[in-house]
Amino acid sequence: MAAGERVAVVGGNGAGKTTLLRLLATVARPDSGELRLFGLDAARRRAELRPRIGWLAHQPGLYPALTALENLEFFCTLHGLPRSRAGECLALLGVAADTRRPAAELSRGRQQRLALARSLLHDPELWVLDEPDSSLDAEGRQLLSRLAGDRTLVIATHDRELAATLGARLVELREGRLVDRESVRVLK
Amino acid sequence: MTFAACALAVARKDLVSEWRSREVLPALAQFVLLALVVTLFAFDLDSASAGRIAPGVVWLVVLFAGLVAFGRAFAAEKEQASLEALLMTPAGPVAVFAGKALAAAAILLACEAVLVPGVSVFLGVSLPAPAIAAIALATLGMAALGCLFSALAVQTRARELLLPVLALPLWIPFVVYGAAALTGRGPQALANLLALDILVVVVAGLAARFVLDE
Repeated sequence: MAAGERVAVVGGNGAGKTTLLRLLATVARPDSGELRLFGLDAARRRAELRPRIGWLAHQPGLYPALTALENLEFFCTLHGLPRSRAGECLALLGVAADTRRPAAELSRGRQQRLALARSLLHDPELWVLDEPDSSLDAEGRQLLSRLAGDRTLVIATHDRELAATLGARLVELREGRLVDRESVRVLK
Repeated sequence: MTFAACALAVARKDLVSEWRSREVLPALAQFVLLALVVTLFAFDLDSASAGRIAPGVVWLVVLFAGLVAFGRAFAAEKEQASLEALLMTPAGPVAVFAGKALAAAAILLACEAVLVPGVSVFLGVSLPAPAIAAIALATLGMAALGCLFSALAVQTRARELLLPVLALPLWIPFVVYGAAALTGRGPQALANLLALDILVVVVAGLAARFVLDE
């Protein structure tokens, strides 16, 4: 992939989308083969790579008893960022009104936005998203494209329309193997 | 961001979450009191026998309360699917582990703050200062080992079974030295507990990287 490129990984259930994304996000290690990210061996240099990667798993992974702001402030601390960055990201994702509400009380869509905000706190160069659209409304989907900006984006989705909205190149997986690479424009 | 700051942030997050959700602490406090009530009715206690039985009851309660407190440390992260997000930060797995062990130890210490006066009220036995110090020191080492095994156990299906099987045998030295603190060998037993704590914290810290992130 070239820097700034957007790729949408599509495929049926069990095709291997999540496994591929977990490998790209360095949360899983390959059993064989080699993965290079930013020119570095992803299996051996994860600590260097992770600050450059934003990862959103299929589940939001929030702390239900903490407020939206506290969730982000906690991760700001771990990233060594000023706490003010948390408020900025909440505003960016359109959830500033939920700042003081516990994450458990937010709707699934708002939780997803909060998780997206967390993945963007450290302004990653590579953004890896595992089916973020499953609970996002139309506005949230438009927001994804805007937030991707110049980042390299890899997104797993069942929704080819979302891939088109993002202008992403389609990569289709079947039983863990790449079977189709097409420009989304051709498919349209 | 320093190691200590990251570990403290993780510990604070866990304690704030526990304070608001009240998931573990009330249940453990209730367990402590019930264990003392059961002891009161299960044994034919007089002032002499209560003094002999009380230390054993205390250690049994600490061990079983520890299994619950430390078991929840990583189980909650697993249920919330939040561990991956934690490990993706530059904080590193060892700082995350240290923070969670600190929070779990604090929760168990809070239970012990119910247990010690409870022993006095229900069994009529006042634990001496060396015994209280031994319980606190043992809690630190037990937290390091317990959270390490908790991190390991949450990756398996039978986590509720695995944690006691792994942790209880390795907690026995803490009970041995802790019990010795009551028998007139207090200073030596406390020194042994401190040495054991240092050893266990270092080993658990080294192993945490592999358990959490490999």
